[in-house]
Amino acid sequence: MEDNLTSITLGHALLFTVIIPAIAGLVLFALPKKSNRIKDILTIAITVLSCFAAFKLYASVQQAVLVGYCSIILQPFKAWFQIPAECAQYLTLNVDAMARLIILLVAGFSLLISIYATGYHHAEKKPKHFHSLLLLTLAASSAAIFADNLMVLIVFWGFLGFTLYAMLSPDDEQSSAAAKKTLILIGASDGLMILGIAIIGKIAGTFSMALLDLSTTNALTVIAFLCLAIGAFTKAGAFPFHTWIPDYTQTATAPASAYLPAALDKLLGIYFLTRICHDVFQISGGIRLTILCLGALTIIIAVMMALIQHNYKRLLGYHAVSQVGYMITGIGLGSVLGIAGGLFHMINNAVYKSGLFLAAGCVKSATGKDDLEELGGLSKAMPVTFICSLIFALSISGVPPLNGFASKWMIYQGIIDLGKGTGPENHLWMVWLAMAVIGSALTLASFVKFISGIFLGRQKPALGTIQEVNPLMWAPMLLLALICIGFGTFATNWVIPSMLEPITGNIHYSGLWNSSLITLLIGISLLLGILFYVIATSGKLRVAESFIGGETNRDETGFEPVSFYETIRNSLLFKPFYAWAEKKYFDVYELSKKLVLDVSDLFSKAHTGILSNLAFWVLAGLIFMFLFLLL
Amino acid sequence: MAKDLLYYLIFPGFLFTALVGAIFSWIDRKVTAWVQFRKGPPFLQPFYDFFKLLLVKETILPARGSKMTFLFAPLLGLTGAALASMLILLPAIGTKPGFNGDIIVIFYILTIPSLTYIIGALAAGNPLASVGASREMKLIISYELTFLLILAAIIMKAGMTITIHEILAVQTDEGAFIGSISGILLFIAFVFCIQAKLGLVPFDMAEAETEINHGSFIEYSGQAYALIRLTRYMMLFILPAFLCTVLLGGLRTDGIHLLWTVLKTLGILLVLTLIRNTNPRVRIDQAMRFFFIWMNLLVIAAIILDYFNL
Repeated sequence: MEDNLTSITLGHALLFTVIIPAIAGLVLFALPKKSNRIKDILTIAITVLSCFAAFKLYASVQQAVLVGYCSIILQPFKAWFQIPAECAQYLTLNVDAMARLIILLVAGFSLLISIYATGYHHAEKKPKHFHSLLLLTLAASSAAIFADNLMVLIVFWGFLGFTLYAMLSPDDEQSSAAAKKTLILIGASDGLMILGIAIIGKIAGTFSMALLDLSTTNALTVIAFLCLAIGAFTKAGAFPFHTWIPDYTQTATAPASAYLPAALDKLLGIYFLTRICHDVFQISGGIRLTILCLGALTIIIAVMMALIQHNYKRLLGYHAVSQVGYMITGIGLGSVLGIAGGLFHMINNAVYKSGLFLAAGCVKSATGKDDLEELGGLSKAMPVTFICSLIFALSISGVPPLNGFASKWMIYQGIIDLGKGTGPENHLWMVWLAMAVIGSALTLASFVKFISGIFLGRQKPALGTIQEVNPLMWAPMLLLALICIGFGTFATNWVIPSMLEPITGNIHYSGLWNSSLITLLIGISLLLGILFYVIATSGKLRVAESFIGGETNRDETGFEPVSFYETIRNSLLFKPFYAWAEKKYFDVYELSKKLVLDVSDLFSKAHTGILSNLAFWVLAGLIFMFLFLLL
Repeated sequence: MAKDLLYYLIFPGFLFTALVGAIFSWIDRKVTAWVQFRKGPPFLQPFYDFFKLLLVKETILPARGSKMTFLFAPLLGLTGAALASMLILLPAIGTKPGFNGDIIVIFYILTIPSLTYIIGALAAGNPLASVGASREMKLIISYELTFLLILAAIIMKAGMTITIHEILAVQTDEGAFIGSISGILLFIAFVFCIQAKLGLVPFDMAEAETEINHGSFIEYSGQAYALIRLTRYMMLFILPAFLCTVLLGGLRTDGIHLLWTVLKTLGILLVLTLIRNTNPRVRIDQAMRFFFIWMNLLVIAAIILDYFNL
């Protein structure tokens, strides 16, 4: 009976998160451009349904299930179809606790973004077919997560590369370059992953993640692991394969940035990394060391780049990279605490990072400006956006008691626990800890720039008429901000036990953190503080012009937050690194582009366009082939 | 619950720390006066200062700033200081071992007051305040790594435990951590971190009276400034108390140990005061270099020595 109920819930989940969104996505492509309102409503309706089905799946199914698609969907048609036995392995679902949680998050973000997009697209130029792409993305990512078979997973995941590209809707030189870069890097990572999967198939003879359990002892397995890991790193955006993310977020619209690079790519990438690190492979100390190194480097390098950005969307893009470092570090630790911390950070990051992109979208659609230099003093004009952004910014910087702190705290503890071991990666625990913590301080620094550059300080005269965005846009943002507070407040006593412990098993903390009590105390203090202000300042508040050392206070007088960190940029220690980074010496894409162009340059020297030369090469090639076949 | 609220608001949280902090601030000013051959303020001067701001002065808001944020920032700063005092002192004086926060939580909460100074300063819309805020932020980046490495070294000395009462238990068994060469190096680095966290000379470039007119705090007046003063009094006591707890064997209050506790914290205060009275203000880039290179090297040296149990 229970099995039957489970399979019905699962069938509904499949229907509403994969099949219906896929069909609707295709249908919406065909609808004319005028019927935007219908598209909006239809998209929201479908995402609501998929959210509901995903929640039901999350809440009602208790154990990990491994079932065939065919037994669920094709149940009524069993008499007509006969699934060949060889196909069955490709039609297996893996619905364990982690998959259920990620599906729920994917569906939830799809709903929020589709609501936001409804408001946003009326305010700004509409990307072509956004609704269809959103629904197709939802369908493909849900299918990828449901899949147990690596081949099926890569097929659906590869499809996301297309939607990612299409959502950018390139229309000028900069955005086409970004789109091309994204497509090439993501496509290359897909290629590597297919290679990795092929190697696995060769070694193990199966593609089922539930059955695989390879230990990384021989070179071939290590290569397979690295191929898959590079795929996960590229898609989630970890150093050194991260370079598409800042370019993408700089040019894409806010809903696209908030949906894919901020939320779904992280969810899927880290989901897959967790799977390969802990289900498919048993990783050795050397690989663990590599992963931790890459995690630590990702944190630091991306945040150092974020520090000097002027374009706020690009700044957020670098943070979308930097935060991945924490997740990778957590997953790479391999302990229960580390994995739980990494997954929790993945969830938290998806929440506040897509919140930040939504906030950036609100600012962009209200002002039309991209650069921090042209903004300032919007806190009064856009109060909801300001408060939400402040919460997200504090959260991403790991200020207690918000959710970003809770997950970082777990990762730090995981790192300290790692220090008890004896391998080389264990002895370096202090390095990982130092990188992670200084990364969080630098994150704070760059968000001081973000918040003050947009919302604080003096209002620019050009921004005098700015108004808050419409509720369809700020409501999803506000909800995300409340989730930030809620997840932070109830982290240790509700969120982690109910969401993460089913995945990782019981967690033993070595530290202490009672976020609920601390939040309560902060709440009480703020209430007392407001009371204090009301009583103490009764009628004595006066507004006056600032004193700036006797100078006249003009509109343009100011010290812009944009130039805050020039000291760091120009310091002897970092100056060469920034110079190299600006020449794109750290960009895998640019480096390989240069390599490819140089090599093809070499070959093109042989092809001068003179017919006799060409004929010679053709003949030489034929002779070579002939000899090769002959021998 | 009611008990926790009492811990938070009365002892050892807000009220107690504020009182002791005010007294510490008086001692600091008195010693400064002696160094400069002056007589110095009367004992109640910090209280006079505070209540004058609170009761007599009016609060003036900057015309071009974000006024609500400007007023809320000091509240959050005070909250952070009160939380830190509760989390540090409750286990340190042994009232409640293992209370609600470990050394990582304390590390983060100790940053909150500085962060709120920055937010408040940026909300003021005054260019001089912005200069102060930018310097404060860069100072945080500089000393945060050193501070973390010090705590990591302490965690290592304590056998990879991160709760204060376990660190204290190790110190009770094996003697205070300062009783070794590495411990002394950590102490030196810790004192400089406190100096920077409190914004005392030579690291007072964020407020630099003679240069940018109190920088971060230039726009604050009346009740809002009273809260900032209170936060700074509290931090003046909490940070030396934290140093005592993690390096000097804790703050025991039973019998003769109470005298030692008082002497230890006052001794650290004296060191801080003397440093601030005998040094010039450094530039922000000098401060960054000082922490990034020299202090980090010092702490790394301490960590290496600790590997050899020195």
